[in-house]
Amino acid sequence: MRFRTRDPRIADEVRFHRDRLIADYVASGMDPKEAGRRAFLEFGNPAQIEEAVRDVRGRWLDDLSMDLRYTLRSLRRSPAFSIVAILSLALGIGANAAIFSLINAVMLRTLPVREPHRLVQITRLLDGRPGFVSYPLFEYFRDHVDSISAAFAQGATDQSIVIDGEEELVPTDLVSGAYFTVLGLEPAAGRLLGPGDDVVAPAAPAAVITDRFWQRRFARSPSAIGTPVTIRDRIFTIVGVTRPEFQGARTGRVPDLIVPLAMMNTRGAGFNWLNLMARLKPGATVERANAETQVLFRAYLETVAAQAPEKERAGILRQRAAALPASDGFNPVRSTIGEPLLILMGIVGLILMLACVNLSGLLLARAAARQREISIRLAIGAGRARVVRQLLTESLVLASIGGAVGLAVAGWFGSRLFALFVNGRDIMLSVGPDWRVLVFTGAVALAVCCLTGLAPAVQAVRVDVNPALKEVRARRGRLGRALVVGQLAISMILLVGGTLFVGTLVKLYAVDRGFDSDGLLVVNIRTSQPYPAARVKVVQAALLERLRALPGVRLASASQMLPAAGSLWDRRVQVDGYRFRPDESETVGFNAIAPGYFGTLRTPLLYGREFDARDTETSSKVAIVNESFARYFFGDESALGRRVTSVSVTYEIVGVVRDAKYQHLREPTMSTMYVAWTQQGGDQPSSYSYLLRPDAGDPMRLAAGLDRIVRDADPALRVRQARTYAAIVDQSIGTERIMATLGGFFGLLALVVAGLGMFGVLAFQVTRRTNELGVRMALGATRLALMGLVLRDVMVMIAAGASIGAGAAWLLTGLARSLLFGLTPTDPGVFIVAASVLAAASLAAGWLPARRASRVDPLVALRHE
Amino acid sequence: MAADAPKSELLQGTLDMLILKVVALGPIHGYAIAQRLQQMSGAVLQVQQGSLYPALHRLEKRGWLRAEWSASDTGRDARFYTLTRVGRRQLSEQRAYWDRLSAAISGVLRTAE
Repeated sequence: MRFRTRDPRIADEVRFHRDRLIADYVASGMDPKEAGRRAFLEFGNPAQIEEAVRDVRGRWLDDLSMDLRYTLRSLRRSPAFSIVAILSLALGIGANAAIFSLINAVMLRTLPVREPHRLVQITRLLDGRPGFVSYPLFEYFRDHVDSISAAFAQGATDQSIVIDGEEELVPTDLVSGAYFTVLGLEPAAGRLLGPGDDVVAPAAPAAVITDRFWQRRFARSPSAIGTPVTIRDRIFTIVGVTRPEFQGARTGRVPDLIVPLAMMNTRGAGFNWLNLMARLKPGATVERANAETQVLFRAYLETVAAQAPEKERAGILRQRAAALPASDGFNPVRSTIGEPLLILMGIVGLILMLACVNLSGLLLARAAARQREISIRLAIGAGRARVVRQLLTESLVLASIGGAVGLAVAGWFGSRLFALFVNGRDIMLSVGPDWRVLVFTGAVALAVCCLTGLAPAVQAVRVDVNPALKEVRARRGRLGRALVVGQLAISMILLVGGTLFVGTLVKLYAVDRGFDSDGLLVVNIRTSQPYPAARVKVVQAALLERLRALPGVRLASASQMLPAAGSLWDRRVQVDGYRFRPDESETVGFNAIAPGYFGTLRTPLLYGREFDARDTETSSKVAIVNESFARYFFGDESALGRRVTSVSVTYEIVGVVRDAKYQHLREPTMSTMYVAWTQQGGDQPSSYSYLLRPDAGDPMRLAAGLDRIVRDADPALRVRQARTYAAIVDQSIGTERIMATLGGFFGLLALVVAGLGMFGVLAFQVTRRTNELGVRMALGATRLALMGLVLRDVMVMIAAGASIGAGAAWLLTGLARSLLFGLTPTDPGVFIVAASVLAAASLAAGWLPARRASRVDPLVALRHE
Repeated sequence: MAADAPKSELLQGTLDMLILKVVALGPIHGYAIAQRLQQMSGAVLQVQQGSLYPALHRLEKRGWLRAEWSASDTGRDARFYTLTRVGRRQLSEQRAYWDRLSAAISGVLRTAE
């Protein structure tokens, strides 16, 4: 059978010639019938001529469109197969494209600035990751690193600003004067900040807004330029707007407002809170800048260490700094979700492989069913390459449709996944597909096509034409079984991964946190103006009192730092009766809390008392310590009544509480001391998180009326955020939750796919062996023996698949080490669980075919032939 | 089809050159090329008219000919061929080659007599 698509124009040309020939003969007086005969002799067979022309022109396109139409027709004829194939590929390709689009957004984009590859970030390192620098350190590096031509410092804050009497909180970048010149940016309107703005207390402080804010607040009106903006107690003037493509220098954070760092009082402070970016001099390299940075930082540390107490010197000198490539700007997102994303990429890569192997099996079965047709085609002279191409066209069509649907899946899945990763964190990124994602998806689809199509196609044409014509049955046994073993192996890897991630999450939730986050509401507030120190305590107390009086609230308190939210202050302490060794750290965790804090959190008070109304600004200074603190400094002796001095204030310990996890749930608990908020200077009402425990039910019910209550306490107070404590805890282990959810989901998906593959192959083989099974039964084999025959086959495949998969998993899981908690990557328990689940599911899948094998009727079976 | 004249199968290169030569005279469609070839060579060279078309398309693919659809003298659309610059150069090269070859062959034949 040949399907021909004629290029109508070739046919036209040939027909024109023949018609003219006939017409000329007729014109010369010939009988029309005789004329047609003569023309045929003279001219030849038009169809043959067309074919000859087509051979000359190259038939590639013709054949392709022929194959395409044939494929589409055959796919339409088996809709179930087509839908399963396209859906599984769409999911596989879509998941890959989705993860890739996130990786693209987080790691592959460069800043839309002049020569981004010449930018470097110079920074202190914290655990090998980029940290922050202080203003003096910024100046030091800027003035001494020889490889850089210019540098700027940038700090990110959320500022309360007032424009036209309207107050709002906006993300603000505080930058030094060289910011825009180092980046090489041009304004969209007005002017950008320059070195001239880098002066303390100028007559007319300037601010630049970004395109996003310009759009949102001013609808891109030119009149925005010159508008006054009040920040705290100063009036700035908007002097310019950045271009739309500029999204700030830090990945995931788009500022609304950019103001000179010199405006802020914090400039001179020794806090490490600034990012430093520099542009390399022509000819200089990142490596050279890095080498200089290390040497310079060492010199800097030595001067610092020389002035520090002896025992701190080693710690100071242990610090490290580096110059890092910064073509993607300051990118904290990369270090937080980069690694999980790469692991996920591996997981969805395996899922896609699984989908391919599965589809390969389906195509193989189809090829087997079509063996007769293929044999006929080979017999009448079709080239083998030609038939392989036809079969490959099928996988090409499937992969293309799968890829197209996959892109749609990717758009949806990618944005959902990103929302999961962000999960309340302050990250703004566009994760939509760009050209890189499109190229990636295309490449993946092509790889899929080759992976799925080649094996069945080659197998299909590797037949002897003669026997196959007589005997329709295919010999695809070995390849089919190999594919099932492949599926089982991939499933095993995914199951081990999934079990590790789910296990990690279970262990994290099982950690003794030392507090009860269920049913708690956490309220953060903000103020447009800082309060004078004298007002702070009054406003704080008034606010807490009103919150306590709220109907439905049983307990309320406040704290600077929240357990599980990730941080505690560090404070150096001297403890009466305890002498630190020279190399021992003198710092402990430090927190300021309101009365009733431990009761609200349900952290058990072990000895002594909580803070209460008697602890005022003027009463004697008191502290509560946690168990770790008490055990560390006092051993078995009572901590009550002991004295601790910090920042020249001596506190008497009045209570001991159970440990609570302030940092990440995976971190060990720090020795911690708590002081009363009434006795803590230098804070603001907004420094505290307010905790509400309702009588019962969903704590979010309380959120509705909060704004009014807060304004009642003081008109300048606003609610910044109200969320449940459970949400904060979930957020603190957000990455682990995603990995467990997706890892578990993909593991189960793999299990289902492998089970289906196993079922398919066995069902096929039982049908094929009906005859043999019938003979065995006629010869006296029991039903149980026949079942055993099939199930033994299943066991062999499971054993092979599970061992290959376990071996691969053993090598791979180490990559995820940093994402695990409470489990080692090669935890034997995990492997046993995964293998058992896999075995159980595969046996279940093999059960039905095995049962059918045992129910074979010998008479029917023998007649089968 | 005169029975007395010896027929010769056309060498492929010869057919190509003859086509180029005919097309060199101006835009012309396949049927007219066949007619012209027959007139030019008398009955000596036998061209099966159909085999003209693979040759035309091969020459077009090589870039020696350019083809365009336009109305023929009868009003019906036909595919007209013209010579490209490359084609023209090719024609003069082949022609020079044939001149040399036929001169050489007649020289050989003459001395052999």
